Amino acid sequence: MNDQVSLNNQVLDALLVDYAAGALSQPLEILIETHLAMNPESAKTMQMLMQLGGILLEECEPVSLSEDALDKVMSAIAEDEEPLQKVTHSENSFLPRPISDYIPDLSCTKSWRSAGIGIARHDVKFSQSDMRATIYRIQPSRAVPSHSHTGSEITLVLAGGFSDESGTFGPGDIAVQEAGEVHKPVADADGECIVFAVNEGDIRLAGPFGRVFSLLVK
Amino acid sequence: MIISELKVDVVSESNHFQLVFKPQETVDQTMGTSLMNDNSKKLSTWDELLVRVGRDRDKSAFAELFDYFAPRVKSFLLRFGTDMSLAEEIAQEAMIMVWRRAETYDPRQSAASTWIFTIARNKRIDRLRRENRPLPDMTDPAVMPESIETGEIQVARMQQEKKIRHALKNLPEEQAKMIFSAYYEEKSHREIAEESGVALGTVKSRIRLALNRMRAQIDKDEGITP
Repeated sequence: MNDQVSLNNQVLDALLVDYAAGALSQPLEILIETHLAMNPESAKTMQMLMQLGGILLEECEPVSLSEDALDKVMSAIAEDEEPLQKVTHSENSFLPRPISDYIPDLSCTKSWRSAGIGIARHDVKFSQSDMRATIYRIQPSRAVPSHSHTGSEITLVLAGGFSDESGTFGPGDIAVQEAGEVHKPVADADGECIVFAVNEGDIRLAGPFGRVFSLLVK
Repeated sequence: MIISELKVDVVSESNHFQLVFKPQETVDQTMGTSLMNDNSKKLSTWDELLVRVGRDRDKSAFAELFDYFAPRVKSFLLRFGTDMSLAEEIAQEAMIMVWRRAETYDPRQSAASTWIFTIARNKRIDRLRRENRPLPDMTDPAVMPESIETGEIQVARMQQEKKIRHALKNLPEEQAKMIFSAYYEEKSHREIAEESGVALGTVKSRIRLALNRMRAQIDKDEGITP
């Protein structure tokens, strides 16, 4: 196994554990959920990690709630008939959820701006306002000019595939690009390649729990 | 831009990870028998109580679940760096959600502890982001494997939990530590690395080694004697 493959595997496992623990930022959480929908092996690992969460929950030393907690909850459920939410989904039905809910209509040119010849991008906004991530669409056989990233980047292939110096990636695969590494991805010849990329600068969970996700920094 | 024909294999239909149990075919037969013999096919008390809450809207069953799980959910949140009053609030909200969603609980798919863990996890993230996330629909018949008998799913599910416990108990200390830190503490992998005096790359490789051990344990055919 080469270094890149083993790095990708390690990062993926660390991401899955953090997802199970509820520690990922929103863009990464959506990236992982989409990956789980596309990759049965990871879905199986996630099932195991959720079971592990249940086991660890049971092993927590109990901490008493306030004395009236049960009464409060009981009275809340007595008058409780809040309708459960229905989920609505977007039209990009051939793309996996949940990321498809964040992708504008692929034929709507206004939502996509050029990022070079044969490359279009859309910046995804999340409810955690300071988070950003990008969808890239790369035409068949098109090479993205050689570049490096100031921060590291995690990329999920949504459709099609691409190759770069580190390997070949198909639908559902996650590619890890470390800060400073130079690469030149080339889309597969047989179709448009659509990827979802999250940058390290945006990989932070906001709020009072703030857990900085510094997985990739050596 | 024209999209050429693309085929994407969509497994999950919900917005969030689903607790769908898909036992491996190789495991079912032998294990089913051995488990039925030792009578451990029985549901745990918590699973039974949660079924009663869902099916009968049984408030005394709910109170029992509350007494056991609410203090553990609160404890779990505290470990994760949530402050006392917020942990109390989220624990209560999580238990209200347990009541609301209990009808969708399926003991064939998950243990009560797994199910409640997932709810508490989601509740915590929701509070963090101030949004209301729809919970996964665990009753969707589309996600139920058809060919496998209900009893076998349940047996395999419980057997899997036993294997995870077994694997967890037998992890080398340095690997177990990484797993506990990830679930129990408000720490990044980098902070874990700094505190334990190992390189960040080592933290990642230990997490992977730990998961590999657990995955290998689950894939083993033979059961674990309780």
